[in-house]
Amino acid sequence: MAIKLNSKVTYLFKKREFGIFLFILVLLAVFGTLEPRFFRSDNLSAILSSVGILMVVGAGQTLVIVTRNIDLSVGSTLGMAAMVMGMVARENPDFPIFGLIVIAMIVGGLCGLLNGLLVSYGKIPAIIATLGTLAIIRGAVFLVSDNVQIDPNDVPQGIINLATTSPIGIPWLLIFAFLSIILVWYVSSKTLLGKRIYAVGSNPEGAISRGLSFNKITIMVFVFVGVLAGLGGVLYTARYATINPADVGRGLEFDVISAVVIGGTNIFGGSGTALGTALGCILIGILSNGLTVVGVSPFWKACATGFLILAAVAIDNSVRKRQEQNFLLAIRNQRTVN
Amino acid sequence: MSPLLKNNPRFKVPGYLVGPILILIIAMTYGSLGSEYFLDPSSIIFNTGRYIEIGLLALALTFVIINGDIDLSVASTLAASAGVLAKLFESGVPIFWCCVASIFTGLVLGLINGLIVIKLGLPSLVVTLATLALYRGLTQVILGDGVVANYPENFVGFDQRLVIGGNPGLPAPLALFIVAAIIFYYILHRSNYGIKNIMSGSNPSSSNFSGISVDRVRLLAFALSGTVAGICAVMITSRLGSTISNVGLGLELLAITAVVLGGTDIFGGRGAISGTVVALFAIMAVREALVIQDINGQVQDAAIGLLLILTVLVPQIRSYYVEKRNRRKRFNEAQART
Repeated sequence: MAIKLNSKVTYLFKKREFGIFLFILVLLAVFGTLEPRFFRSDNLSAILSSVGILMVVGAGQTLVIVTRNIDLSVGSTLGMAAMVMGMVARENPDFPIFGLIVIAMIVGGLCGLLNGLLVSYGKIPAIIATLGTLAIIRGAVFLVSDNVQIDPNDVPQGIINLATTSPIGIPWLLIFAFLSIILVWYVSSKTLLGKRIYAVGSNPEGAISRGLSFNKITIMVFVFVGVLAGLGGVLYTARYATINPADVGRGLEFDVISAVVIGGTNIFGGSGTALGTALGCILIGILSNGLTVVGVSPFWKACATGFLILAAVAIDNSVRKRQEQNFLLAIRNQRTVN
Repeated sequence: MSPLLKNNPRFKVPGYLVGPILILIIAMTYGSLGSEYFLDPSSIIFNTGRYIEIGLLALALTFVIINGDIDLSVASTLAASAGVLAKLFESGVPIFWCCVASIFTGLVLGLINGLIVIKLGLPSLVVTLATLALYRGLTQVILGDGVVANYPENFVGFDQRLVIGGNPGLPAPLALFIVAAIIFYYILHRSNYGIKNIMSGSNPSSSNFSGISVDRVRLLAFALSGTVAGICAVMITSRLGSTISNVGLGLELLAITAVVLGGTDIFGGRGAISGTVVALFAIMAVREALVIQDINGQVQDAAIGLLLILTVLVPQIRSYYVEKRNRRKRFNEAQART
């Protein structure tokens, strides 16, 4: 029975991601026929590099949402990491690039640790705790930077090169994005830790009574999303080369959560995949770029994103209901057979 | 029940008001250090003008949040209503009918939120996140990047008018807020609907079994928050004298902060209008005190975020120690018995 159910669930996940994939193909076909310039390589690389930052942060956010939490502070965390990294680079121009990346990830991890402690030991609902830290970390960016932005000539060339070059042809930015998606995929589907994360999300009381450390897992996922937001800060700096305390990462949380929800992660926890999130990010990237290229007013972009979220959630919900009905039917049949 | 309420409910401050009142007192003291005119009654009263829209939105959101829902789209609803108002005014409709249309738009958008949440059974967090983008997008489509101004003389400057003259007088927005707070107080704490609202928030399924139409109660709360957003759109247009598409951007966070700071449980079932009102004035005092000390706007937001976290965190810590003490007491009693 258990094996049967498991195969059914994975089949469903495949189907759900397949749906997003089909939608992406439809969008590509529509934009491509309306405006052949859409498929030019420079446009495609523009889409991919804007999607990359979203993917890195979205990969972490997926795990947070799977545990029934939400992190609204990712934009501010990204800003904090980028700002600290930029300031270190400005003071010490000869600092190694690898060291800068590690600094950004540590700063992001510390912000995530703060969120994790508030949610786990502080017992504050994640939406309130991270609504608070969204503002607090943004304020801290101002205090740390003294409201002075980092100029492009203060950013080391090595960081800027991350967005354009790498030894194997694909820019580092995309390599980082794919690596983080693969990491989340590996953790969630191949490791015991991943099973625990999903267990805490689908049934917290049950998970605690089976001896899982709820607090430890909560802190872990928040630190993880923080570290990835820190990495996102590096990529943001690579792509835009300017770090403005007011602009860096502002409003990112909305795009990231949209991508995760469109990717089929249940906002009430317990289900969601890295692949879905990656497709959700690509979908948002293609949509916002395509509308501009085709010549639709950019004002429609927010409308389109809103519709997309509603449609994704509504479809997900009806699929989930049917799945539950099938499950109940299967149990009933089992009983009558016995 | 809070120990503060235990002895004499009539003369004690309810537990949920302690935090906001403390914040109010500290902020007032801090502000008066910055300028001797900070505590001047007329300056205090006239500073309220800018916060009344947040206050009205927070009052309506109290109902939604007590139900266990959330409405992230209030600020976007406000913007869309203001957009309708501006566009109708531009096409020559008398200003009175523009206002009526604006309030009606708010009602319709709120009903759309409620219907999607209830009829499709989707989580309100995701639905209103989607409509947050959708309604803002609609506003941008309606208004483009233009500005609508030149409203008639007798329409603009609502916040400059006095209901009661003299020094300090009573400006119209504050008077409106006081009236609204009294009405909402009676609806929530004295009327049939309010009791149904609190009950359906604290336990939806048992309320359903005892004959409360939980769906209708929730739908009404969404409609209320939309309508109030429409009214706020009229107020903000009158106060600013012009309309652009990012009007009221980010107000939802301040309104939700006011509600949660005022002791309303984000998971529903508990809350009070008095808490929301005091929390609004606490937020206002903190903002104004920091303004007078010449502190950056982002840092002001950070201070409010910090307060939000502390007001939730401190009672948690306190109840942890109370619990620990009680446990030790019980243990000692058990020891004494044996």
